[in-house]
Amino acid sequence: MKNRMQTLVGVLILYPLLSASLISSDQVEFDRAAQAFLSKHCLVCHDSEAQEGGVSLEGLKTVSVENSDLWKQIWEQVSLDEMPPRDESFRPDALERFKFSQRITEGLVEALKDVGGFRLHLHPSKGNHLDHTLLFDREYLAGQLEPPSTPARIWRIQPQEHLTRLNALINLEPVFDARKPGVRTRGDRILPNPQGEVKVYFGLDRVIGWVGGSAAYAAAITGFSPVLSTEDAHGLRNYADQYSVNASEAVQIAGLAEDILKFMAYGPDAEEYQFADKVSEIDAKYKHGDLRGLAQSLFYSKEIKRPLTPVYELVQDGGFTADSKARAITYLFEALTGRPPRAEELKKYVSILERAVGDLGQEEGVILGLAPIFLDREAVFRVELVNYGKPDQFGRIMLQDDELGLAVNAAFSYLPPDKTLKQSIVQGRMKTREDAAREVARILADPEIRKPRILQFFREYFDYDRAGSICKDTPALNSAGGDNKGTNHYTTMQGMVSHTDRLVELILAEDKNVLEELLTTNRVVISPGTDVRYFSQLEKLVKKLPKVPKGTKLTDADRGYVDLPKGKNIHVRVPQVVKNGRTNRTLTELPLDQRRGILTHPSWLVSHSDAMDNHAILRGRWVRERLLGDSVPDVPITVDAMLPDEPRETLRHRMRVTQKSECYRCHRKMDPLGLPFEMFTHAGLYRTTEMGKKVNTRGEIIDSGEEGLDGPVKDALEMIDRLAASERVHQVFVRHAFRFWMGRNETINDAPVLRAAYQAYRDNGGSMNALLKSLLTSDAFLYRKVSELETRN
Amino acid sequence: MFNRRNILQGMAAGVALGSTTLGSTALGSPRFGRVAGGSPKRVVFFLQNQGFDPATCVPAGMKESGSLSGAELPEPIRPLEPYKDKLHIINGLHGRHTSPSHSAFFGALGGYRGGIGVPPAGATIDHVVSGQLPETLLPHLCIGMDAIENMISRPTLATLSAADAGKPVFMHSNPKLLYQMLFGGIATGDVKRKFEARSNVFNRIEEIAQQSSTTLPPSERERYGGYVAGFREINGLREKLETVSDHLRKFAPEYGDKIVKPKFETDWHDSLLDIGIASLKAGLTNVLTIGSGRGEIFGSWKGLGIVPAGHNLGHMKQPGNPIWIKIRQYNCRMLVKIMKELESIPEGDGSMMDNTLIVYTSNNADKQHTSGANWPFMLLGDLSGTMTTGRYTSVRGNRPINALYATLLHAIGAPCDRFNMEKSIAGKYDSKLGPIEELLA
Repeated sequence: MKNRMQTLVGVLILYPLLSASLISSDQVEFDRAAQAFLSKHCLVCHDSEAQEGGVSLEGLKTVSVENSDLWKQIWEQVSLDEMPPRDESFRPDALERFKFSQRITEGLVEALKDVGGFRLHLHPSKGNHLDHTLLFDREYLAGQLEPPSTPARIWRIQPQEHLTRLNALINLEPVFDARKPGVRTRGDRILPNPQGEVKVYFGLDRVIGWVGGSAAYAAAITGFSPVLSTEDAHGLRNYADQYSVNASEAVQIAGLAEDILKFMAYGPDAEEYQFADKVSEIDAKYKHGDLRGLAQSLFYSKEIKRPLTPVYELVQDGGFTADSKARAITYLFEALTGRPPRAEELKKYVSILERAVGDLGQEEGVILGLAPIFLDREAVFRVELVNYGKPDQFGRIMLQDDELGLAVNAAFSYLPPDKTLKQSIVQGRMKTREDAAREVARILADPEIRKPRILQFFREYFDYDRAGSICKDTPALNSAGGDNKGTNHYTTMQGMVSHTDRLVELILAEDKNVLEELLTTNRVVISPGTDVRYFSQLEKLVKKLPKVPKGTKLTDADRGYVDLPKGKNIHVRVPQVVKNGRTNRTLTELPLDQRRGILTHPSWLVSHSDAMDNHAILRGRWVRERLLGDSVPDVPITVDAMLPDEPRETLRHRMRVTQKSECYRCHRKMDPLGLPFEMFTHAGLYRTTEMGKKVNTRGEIIDSGEEGLDGPVKDALEMIDRLAASERVHQVFVRHAFRFWMGRNETINDAPVLRAAYQAYRDNGGSMNALLKSLLTSDAFLYRKVSELETRN
Repeated sequence: MFNRRNILQGMAAGVALGSTTLGSTALGSPRFGRVAGGSPKRVVFFLQNQGFDPATCVPAGMKESGSLSGAELPEPIRPLEPYKDKLHIINGLHGRHTSPSHSAFFGALGGYRGGIGVPPAGATIDHVVSGQLPETLLPHLCIGMDAIENMISRPTLATLSAADAGKPVFMHSNPKLLYQMLFGGIATGDVKRKFEARSNVFNRIEEIAQQSSTTLPPSERERYGGYVAGFREINGLREKLETVSDHLRKFAPEYGDKIVKPKFETDWHDSLLDIGIASLKAGLTNVLTIGSGRGEIFGSWKGLGIVPAGHNLGHMKQPGNPIWIKIRQYNCRMLVKIMKELESIPEGDGSMMDNTLIVYTSNNADKQHTSGANWPFMLLGDLSGTMTTGRYTSVRGNRPINALYATLLHAIGAPCDRFNMEKSIAGKYDSKLGPIEELLA
């Protein structure tokens, strides 16, 4: 038994790198282990005679292309403890399930390697397939697991990181203002424009006027959207192994590079008449209404406002010198990759630049010749390759110098390292765990260093940032209490996402009981003019508004809106493209008998809704995965996952179809957790009735894995309170933070890192800073491993 | 006699970029070999976003299947009136299994469940057809039309076509870039000079990218390899196109103001169509996919005098709506242009159009917020006499869009019983096995 265990542990630790060779030489052992597991736990119901659910596992052999679909199902069922059913006596324990599911994934990886591969287990949505108890319950496989590390890798940079760096090349952004810490500052994420598009614009800071209104201005100004793509899905969206850069993205980057370089060199692409000190100086013939929305309708200050960089110097008369070439290349390389070019890199890019200028002349050649820097490997991938140093006894090498500095920097920032971190790298003070700890603590303590990555984690963890892109059917929005005039609903939702961002930042700044606060606080940031409606009660909205004397405005009370305390002034970010946008909002409090925490804010509720109604399944799935650390198997392709189209019935009634026996095995994990949110409409308004009757908000926490947590709940508020106090929920939060910052799913080897991070969070009063310090100085973050097998290859 | 198709097909042999190997899909699509012999065939797919309301294409009063000869086409598709004998209007297919509300995305041509951000679950019909037809330099060209800002900022996008599960095929939306890619080698003056300078730079970028891969672990080399392969693909295609430059010169569209200085987005829509047609005429491709609105819920047609743009267009009812009449008529004028241009090129005893089929529909079935219970199509052309024309067909029974796609495969000589639909799901969604017989000649 001991020998077998040791063999198995070896497979676990080195997986997936060595799995292929071990499995191929061990098929007999796989069959034997599979047979033993299936016989003991599965065949009672799934032999050739019983075939429950039409599934027979009798005689099932080593994973192959032909039987891989069946093995994938077994993998999910076993990993998630779905099978055998919970009322059976022959259920395996967590460790048995883990060992068998590991064997299956190894088998799938090997069997499918030539037909598209198997990577499902590495996807963020499958992180919870590793049983929570194996990480936090006690130390499993004590003394038999190698210490944590992460494979040596390249990590395609985040789309927002890419965009923010490109933006910094062409726009001067405001510096940090301690009096208004929430306003947009250099290094912040790029926000979507009022139409919902995330875009960086050329020459925004130089525009002094335009023809037409704000819509015409938005149409006239030129910009670009993210080139790099991410999965447009709920949950964590950017693991290191998820993305590459495809041919079309590379072509787009090349084209965009030329546009950016042109702007850096020559400024806005505009006619002479468009430049003036004042708009009044411009001839009236250029202000004709027909020009609205066209690039020619924008007027620019004569004063140059964009960053004047060495690229600008390079195109000046007599500016194309050896020194200026090197300066321009060094500047761009560092701005795009985060580090200065090495001598051989500089030489290479000088030669490309000179050739292009030879072909096209200085004016155009500089643009084409500098564009390849935007396509350098490190301009689109951050490298963690540890091609230095001596591996420890486990084959691990610690990140150092550039790689460590850039990894620490990327944990917080989208821009290249600040001056202090840059000096630490150059001076050889980024080599040890203590060096990393020093920089992490320094960055966390400095509010001037923007940390959009931390906010991005909360966006991906909570998924409240999708509200503005959930399309609503107009009549359905109307009946849910939303604002159906024009695009009001969508712009309000975009704004609400920013307001939730600000609330998150506020709670992070306090750094006390962070998750619990986010789940239960009655504080809220609002724009009173647009948001109060959405925090109101549906039944109290006044359907027929009273007539008021001319010049008098309707009050919130006239409209039946909720009466919120006056609150305090607070500042938020507004999109770059909004000229002179007001940044002040209100920090106020919500009635605790109706709402508490982000899960009761319209931004989260609408993000988890669809065009016509609430999405109780999605909401329940969120609670199941992000708070309880469990998962739901993928919907089989043969399942018609549609609710009946019965507009006069409640969602709860329409969801009766999920209670069919073949559906409810999975839906029982989601529906009772999502239906308590029926106390809100799909626009996020509080309600007490539905279809003329008292709304049913009952639900239940089932199979949570924590003693005392299970049981019925009367509504979402009771459920949230109970979950917010759960130790398991906080541990699951730590698991998600681990995944986000390590860029991969945790393995059983990472259990000590997770336990330490949770302890740091808990012992420091729910401090996110403490959690991050722990994670970012852990072995999982610092060590990279290239197996011997890979090195030989 | 000069036979451009033979030359191009010969050129394409062994070109990695042009090869289309259909792997197994998540849905178990049948594997096909290329169709051998027979008359040359080509298929154009045209998908307008935001839905295709049947009331805007089915002639008034026409309830049952029958000839279109005595019928008057509804106003939105009236430009097709002179081509009624080539037209086949199909009503009553469904795509309930594709989640088409807002857009089925890849599911519209794949016949499987799609959704925003959902990767393709299998090859789409356009790519499968391209894999069946004789190999060309560009086995499958996709073009996408959108608001000009979007076409500039995102000149390529993949939402409709896929080569396999998880393998989207990108559509081109910037005619400047597409022109330079396909016809840059035959251009003169400034375009040529830039094309050559850019070629030098891209070759260097490929070299640098290739050098950077040598220090990577094998597991990462594969992922990074996709990046390097992108440059190889771009550079390889350019070299292949240069070798047939004399031939391409005869078909290249004008590189004029419409491309260089577009006044409206429709100038670029027209330019993209011209490049697509030129690619068909030159034999660069046998399959052209046109995504008007690029499979999403946006789009802009200011050049037609339509002020509203984007998502709100989809919230409007289409029948009797002057905005949608303009958009649909514009689509139809494009269809007419394709037909006229292909009719102008002799092929065999007739013209290229005789061997062509145009498939027109929406990636949203009948409307923006739809269950997909009805998914209208229009077919134009008889594809070398294999398809019936001049008819309206109200589909009998419960037949999904997959059945139409299976029918197309029959027509090009690669028969299959079902396209991208497993038996287990077909029991619920398809009342019959095999093609839609009424459509086959």
